[in-house]
Amino acid sequence: MSATRLTKGGRIDRSRTLKLTWDGKSYDGFVGDTLASALMASGTQILGRSFKYHRPRGVMSAGVEESGAIVTLGTGVRAEPNTKATMQELFDGLSAHGQNAWPNVRNDVGSVLGLFGRFFSAGFYYKTFMGLPPFEWGRGTGIWMQYEKLIRKAAGMGEASRLADPDAYDHAHAFCDVLVVGSGPAGLNAALTAAQQGKDVILVEQDFELGGDFLNQTDPAAEARRIELITALQAAGVRIMTRTTAFGLYDYGTAGLLERVTDHLALKPEHSPRQRFWTVRAGATVLATGALERMVCFADNDRPGVMTAAAARSYLNRFGVLPGQNIVVTTNNDSAYATAAELAVAGASVTLVDLRPEGGGSLSEVMADASVAVRTGLAPLRACGRRAVNGVQLARAEGNSWATADTLPCDLLLVSGGWSPVVNLLSHRGAKPKWDADLACFLPAPCPDNVVMAGSASGIWQGDACEASGIAAAKTALGQAVEGPVPGGWDTPIKPVYEVGLPDQKTKGFVDPQHDVTSSDVRLAHQEGFVSVEHLKRYTTLGMATDQGKMGNVIGLALMAEALGKEIPNVGTTRFRPPYTPVAIGALAGRNVGDHFRTLRRTPMHDWNLRHGATMTDAGLWHRPWYYARAGETITEAYIREAATVRQAIGICDVSSLGKIAVQGPDASEFLNRVYSNAFAKLPIGKARYGIMLRDDGIVMDDGTTWRLSETDFLLTTTTANAGKVMVWLEELLQLRWPDLKVHVSSVSDQWAGVSVAGPKARDGIAACLEDPDAILAENLPFMGVTRTRLNGGIDCLIARISFSGELAYEVYVSAGYGERMMDLLWAAAEPLEGCLYGLEALGALRIEKGHVTGAELDGRVTIDDAGLGKMASTKKPFIGSALRQRPELLRPDRPQLVGIFPKDRSQTFNGGALLCKPGVTEGHGEGWVTAVTHSPALGHWIGIGYISGGHGDWQGKTAIATDPVRKGDIEVEIVSPHMFDPEGERMHG
Amino acid sequence: MANSVSPLHTSYVAGHHGPEGKIGVTLEEIEDFAMVQFSAWPNTLARTGTEAARIAGCATAASPGEAVLGKIGTLLRVEPLKWWLVAPAGSLSETPVLAPEDGAILDLLQSRVWIRVGGPKAEVLLNHFLPIDLRAAAFPSGTVASTGFHHVGVTLWRDQTGLNLLLPRSFAVSLWDLLCESALQYGLEVIQPER
Repeated sequence: MSATRLTKGGRIDRSRTLKLTWDGKSYDGFVGDTLASALMASGTQILGRSFKYHRPRGVMSAGVEESGAIVTLGTGVRAEPNTKATMQELFDGLSAHGQNAWPNVRNDVGSVLGLFGRFFSAGFYYKTFMGLPPFEWGRGTGIWMQYEKLIRKAAGMGEASRLADPDAYDHAHAFCDVLVVGSGPAGLNAALTAAQQGKDVILVEQDFELGGDFLNQTDPAAEARRIELITALQAAGVRIMTRTTAFGLYDYGTAGLLERVTDHLALKPEHSPRQRFWTVRAGATVLATGALERMVCFADNDRPGVMTAAAARSYLNRFGVLPGQNIVVTTNNDSAYATAAELAVAGASVTLVDLRPEGGGSLSEVMADASVAVRTGLAPLRACGRRAVNGVQLARAEGNSWATADTLPCDLLLVSGGWSPVVNLLSHRGAKPKWDADLACFLPAPCPDNVVMAGSASGIWQGDACEASGIAAAKTALGQAVEGPVPGGWDTPIKPVYEVGLPDQKTKGFVDPQHDVTSSDVRLAHQEGFVSVEHLKRYTTLGMATDQGKMGNVIGLALMAEALGKEIPNVGTTRFRPPYTPVAIGALAGRNVGDHFRTLRRTPMHDWNLRHGATMTDAGLWHRPWYYARAGETITEAYIREAATVRQAIGICDVSSLGKIAVQGPDASEFLNRVYSNAFAKLPIGKARYGIMLRDDGIVMDDGTTWRLSETDFLLTTTTANAGKVMVWLEELLQLRWPDLKVHVSSVSDQWAGVSVAGPKARDGIAACLEDPDAILAENLPFMGVTRTRLNGGIDCLIARISFSGELAYEVYVSAGYGERMMDLLWAAAEPLEGCLYGLEALGALRIEKGHVTGAELDGRVTIDDAGLGKMASTKKPFIGSALRQRPELLRPDRPQLVGIFPKDRSQTFNGGALLCKPGVTEGHGEGWVTAVTHSPALGHWIGIGYISGGHGDWQGKTAIATDPVRKGDIEVEIVSPHMFDPEGERMHG
Repeated sequence: MANSVSPLHTSYVAGHHGPEGKIGVTLEEIEDFAMVQFSAWPNTLARTGTEAARIAGCATAASPGEAVLGKIGTLLRVEPLKWWLVAPAGSLSETPVLAPEDGAILDLLQSRVWIRVGGPKAEVLLNHFLPIDLRAAAFPSGTVASTGFHHVGVTLWRDQTGLNLLLPRSFAVSLWDLLCESALQYGLEVIQPER
């Protein structure tokens, strides 16, 4: 292929030169070029290496179906593999390199694999699972794990950077009355028709220029018409999105679009995203997605210099590149005739080879005028040349087979094997395309959700008819009865041909060049029993590369049909799935990366905690203080100090993340009485009560305290983890089971800032912060009492005397905006009392010492009895779960029950998650498990909490083994009461 | 009395951000406001709605999806049986009261952060996150919606001044950061809040 840039013609701007780098070498291009057109104009032929055989590949098309010029764009952290050079708009400074080759695509050591091609046939990869003969006959795949790495390294689709993507990506939503995909003659007319009827229209075009096939024409009238339509669209207010691909079509008019915002810019604006991932919801959709020209399968049809005829027309008329000097155009339909004539007019020596005995009818006369030699009844049998095409051996059809004809020298071999309407998006919606034998292509079937096809996407081949089709499609989409043009448009019918070859030929003819699937592979798959088209696809990987079979699917189906002795429609077709073209993972993620991967929840005292030395940890979506280390302290030293300080003096812990639900209404107490296992109907105003709620099946759902604030107002607290779940559950109960109850539940988790103030000096500390210090005297605020009062500075607060740590403790709540001020006050009071701030780690230590349960113990398998809280299950009233908790399985005496755990040797430690086993039986599931462990400052040694069959009663005086099969280590432990510290609760009642 | 602290106080940087000379989006936190929830029972919907409208200074209570601007504040119909009254600070002389048999009142002021979103790219910015149709015909002034912003439930309404967001307080910094990061491409003006 001796491509040259023409001195005139095309749509490029020759006054604006752009620099690019290909494989480290500098080249020039122009504004309006693609990477492929610029490299072609510079004479670069080999742009890629094939997937398996490392065969040299050049430009094969001018669009999304490209299977040869697949390159890696950019370098370093921004290297993006598998970019189609035909779709990459050129910009100044663009850098690209070849992939799947070493040292480069021009001279690739891997091409030696081509010599062993017969070992890499269909299903080769799957066959390697069977083991490497003869070493592994019948023994499985012992060494497969080793050579799998080699296979993966040798076969390739480029390599992405392993570094984090530095670019930003946006998600976006849009809505419109009509979405038009494709801006060719049909799409432009469809969009304009809808807009002129007052509809809000979005027009999407994957190219950087509007016009579709208008762009490939030399007729000035075509360009005038294009501009006229675009001007009218702009005047009508159509939202036009270029460089945007509709990659998927979904239910109810929803489309997925990928907008390449800055991929074409040399200087990327600092704050602009690289791409936007759009979700568009449209009332109606017109798909004017065009058609793709098919290749034909023949020997070495992948040589650089073999491309589709339409592609050559694009390079000539749009990019001003004459892609060859001595060109053979092979076709089985009328469409290639114009291309042949235009190439000849541009100065090439052109021979048109038409398979049809009668040729193109009247078109043949036009060829004579353009000095194009026409040969009929012939087809390409083999592309000659190794690194680039230098001729084509022709074949003549003889009955059902082929006979060798003469060889024509050429530096460019163009192929037109017919056209395939782009029905991919329609296929996403489940509409099965129908085979049209006359046009030798799949045509779109009717689709739900008001999706209408237009133009060549519906098999209409002529420009005027495409424009009329666009108008008709828009009207149909808007519910107006209208007849559009019928499919077709060629003077002489197409003569279908999918493969040209001799029966005993041993050469490779590619069906799916991107995955190196040959016609032999298709036949081999059939021989090996893969006769379903879906099995064929997976066994050969036909259509599974980044082009999703755009180039080879129909040929593959035709070959399979031939092998099965069936017609193509009887073989069926695979369903196209999104995305139509690849979508970067970054675009899927959008801005939901890094700190925004999950939305972070901050307590009202978040910043205050950080200022006071908190190290934070994740608790679900929340960031909570983990510990407050002093200078030089480890986490262990910090939490032990904090827990000890709480036992000795006073500690303050941010508990704002607890779920908080306002339960309001005249029936609120009755509602709570039904929800909780214990009695709530008579909870006095100004009192709190600990409650357990069960699921319907009798398993514990959550626990927490509920405070009665008035006759009809309660504040229900939940665990941090279950706040949302409990809220949903309560709403469900009210809306579906007890709609007669006058109760409203509202989340007030974000309304309140809450702290736990615990320790023997807690009362003193809080009192110093109150306008009325007497408010929390023991007689005014007894255990489980609740009071409304004020902090100094006039800050209203709620105080409940409740304890999770087992100490004298209070929870103090203020409106969230006053959380920091509350901390200032409390800390100023607690610090002189030798108090501390404490975090989750110390909180955990304190509650384990007391045997208080959390989510680790209430894990969805535990009954209220298992957790040692059976006395809280009322026998005097029904409640959610009260019936099914009586199931025999849940009442078995040997069920695992909550226990405390001490190491026999008090100097030893054991792990959370360890299994509890009988001595000598440390296999299987054991007798129980450890849910949490800590060093106990109060007891001076390691302790744990967990479950064991039969509970403390069955294991008193016996030794168990805490075994950790993952982290290893067996420790002898003794099972004790879960209430390991102050079992009588004297401290918290003090 | 001590001042309430906004959760955005360390993230809120007033002034211009992004490309020079370009203001596509304005963001402003409305700090001083009152917010009260009115909940009705199914058989007291009309009565409670009338009372909510009276307190808000509206002629009628807002219907589902409607935001009605009254003399005292804006009444948002956020659920079939619930309204939120969002009003300037000090406009409610005292916390409203409802008889329990008529409904329930709940102070929600501190649970939400109010962000006013303006500028020619306001809808575009919000549609980076909110999957609802914000075209003028579909979401005119006087419309309210409960919607999702990065999996977080938020409330959005449009009034004469523009678009307004109520963000759950604990998520506010995270969502604010997302808004600001995404708005930079259009040019962002963060307006100094009135205090």
